Amino acid sequence: MHLALNEDQTQILDFIDSLTRPYATVPLHDTSFALTSDALDAELVEGGFLDVMAVEELGPVTAALVVERLARLPFAVEAAASSLVRPLIDPALPRPLCLVEEGQLRRPVRFLRPGATVVVVSKSGVRSFTAGQAQVRAAGDEVLYAYPVAYLTEVPGDARVHDVAADEILRAWRVALAAEAAGLLGAALQSVTTYVSERQQFGRPIATFQAIRHRLAEDQVATNGVYWMALRAAGSGDAGDAALAALHAQEAAKRVGYDYHQFLGAMGMTLEHPLHLWTYRLKFLTGELGGRGENALAAAAAIWG
Amino acid sequence: MDFEWTEEQQAFRAKLHAFLEAELPDDWEAFSKHGPASPALTEFARHFCRKLAENGMLFPHWPKEIGGEGLGPWEQQILAEVMWEWGEPRGGQYMNVNWIGPTMVRYGTEAQKAKYLPQIAKGEMLWCQGFSEPNSGSDLASLRTRAELEGDAYRVNGQKIWTSYAGLADTCFLLTRTSDDRKRGITILLVPMDTPGITVRQIPSLIGEGDIHEVFFDDVIVPATQRFGEEGQAWEIISYSLQNERLGIPRYHLARKALDRAVGILKESGDFARESVRIEAARCAALCEAARTAIYAIVQKRVDGLPVGGESSSARFATVQAERAVSEFVVEYVPEALAGGSDYLQMHHQRGIVAGIASGAAEIQLNIIAGDVLQLPREPR
Repeated sequence: MHLALNEDQTQILDFIDSLTRPYATVPLHDTSFALTSDALDAELVEGGFLDVMAVEELGPVTAALVVERLARLPFAVEAAASSLVRPLIDPALPRPLCLVEEGQLRRPVRFLRPGATVVVVSKSGVRSFTAGQAQVRAAGDEVLYAYPVAYLTEVPGDARVHDVAADEILRAWRVALAAEAAGLLGAALQSVTTYVSERQQFGRPIATFQAIRHRLAEDQVATNGVYWMALRAAGSGDAGDAALAALHAQEAAKRVGYDYHQFLGAMGMTLEHPLHLWTYRLKFLTGELGGRGENALAAAAAIWG
Repeated sequence: MDFEWTEEQQAFRAKLHAFLEAELPDDWEAFSKHGPASPALTEFARHFCRKLAENGMLFPHWPKEIGGEGLGPWEQQILAEVMWEWGEPRGGQYMNVNWIGPTMVRYGTEAQKAKYLPQIAKGEMLWCQGFSEPNSGSDLASLRTRAELEGDAYRVNGQKIWTSYAGLADTCFLLTRTSDDRKRGITILLVPMDTPGITVRQIPSLIGEGDIHEVFFDDVIVPATQRFGEEGQAWEIISYSLQNERLGIPRYHLARKALDRAVGILKESGDFARESVRIEAARCAALCEAARTAIYAIVQKRVDGLPVGGESSSARFATVQAERAVSEFVVEYVPEALAGGSDYLQMHHQRGIVAGIASGAAEIQLNIIAGDVLQLPREPR
């Protein structure tokens, strides 16, 4: 048992911090519902930051740390699936990687666009294909998620079949979900604590009111739990750990979703404050893999049979 | 980062389990359910801790020069998990292991170390913690039990309350007021419980037989050599102790074991086929494991010699959530456990209520997280 970052991990996270500094804040006067950057994406790919899992001395925990750190940015980056799931299927699959469950075509898909790799996970197996124009339907410009999303219209019959167990991909997907949620939760918490420490009402910062302090402290407890459970699940490779991490992440996301905007008062209803860039990604993750109930059932099956 | 136990750590855990399996009586679960402070368990623990000491299992994490095996904080955590999982056969002596011993090593005079450490190391000493008073619970710094220095002894007058183990303890780790300065006016005295002027009254409790007491001090004379640390140093010392104490009882671990037991019962009855039950069980497991990982992150800090700070309060609050969730799960789905159906689950339930109250209420932990971890501006006083 050793839970401190090793030298490699510290160095990689430092590199990421330097590289992403220009993307650490929202561009002036930008009030987008979702932020993306092709330049950022290209820099991450070029630096090899999304491929650390395959490097023997780095492995899945480092990959999870990378995903967590990138999720803290206000920009949505397709890092989780590429970093933590793709190496198990085929490290050469073109990004972005879009994970979908068989038979769930009514659900919007993150990062889906023509040219993206779609991975379809069903009980019987794992297939993938490169999305063409015909398979992507735009979601319109009034999407209430802080991710770019689109709809998949069909799964082509000639999708490539991968020789990998569906359960293993679901496990890695849950780790990816938890690691990304951990970063989103951490950044959202940071954003809110800054605001409530500065915003004055009744002649004092609103952070000095216990009604807010205690709820934020409980949110810190939940956020910390998701962080460590995600890393442990990445490290252990255990299906139960992964399902518990995903479950806890979705529980935490649900808990903070309204609270954080509430703490910002009327500012919490605007696009002028960037909070939604994290919370409206968390909202999306809340529904992934069937939501809390399904992840709880998966955990129960893995732990107790 | 590595989330696996080393082979040595796994072997250490297995060795402890094997020892307890062999040494504890057959009716242990029924025996231990009355709590670590019950007279029967306290008496049992005096023999048992001696046995643990003889086998190097009482203080394996202590330095060799004071009777330990020189193992690290991970082994201390493993030891605590195994003991608590077995219903704490060390009784109240777990406190010696968790914080009295380390605090004695750090702050005791040579004479005090020479007097107490060997007794503690042999597994023969039971302490009680004279902290809370009727009007000083969470606001501990407002305590009023007075110690006046008269020549070379202190005269102590006042009252303590909710004191665990006081009925059977040998010595009290007593907080007294020696000046009006709120925090710097508090001084620690080590007071033998058979000193004239001390009266102990047991308080009937939900948490087990013989667990909490009122302790009255009427003109109790304590030699100044029994002062622990300097006058006014108590706050610094107990801040150090409480950081150890807050991690001390691995409640997440017993909660998880209790959950597994409850699931076992539900499987047998067929109720674990119900999705609603399975979902709730998983939620409980997630809370247990969240607390466990948060605690482990703190243990790592101790391994690295880093300050623990407010994050131990975060881990502690996570533990409270886990403890409560499992207790609620049992009440909802294994109701017979609280009425003679399962000694183990009853033991867990009875002890669980303590989690959010003892050694700093859960709300105090939240205050600490808000201030120290989140760095929110202070509340006005």
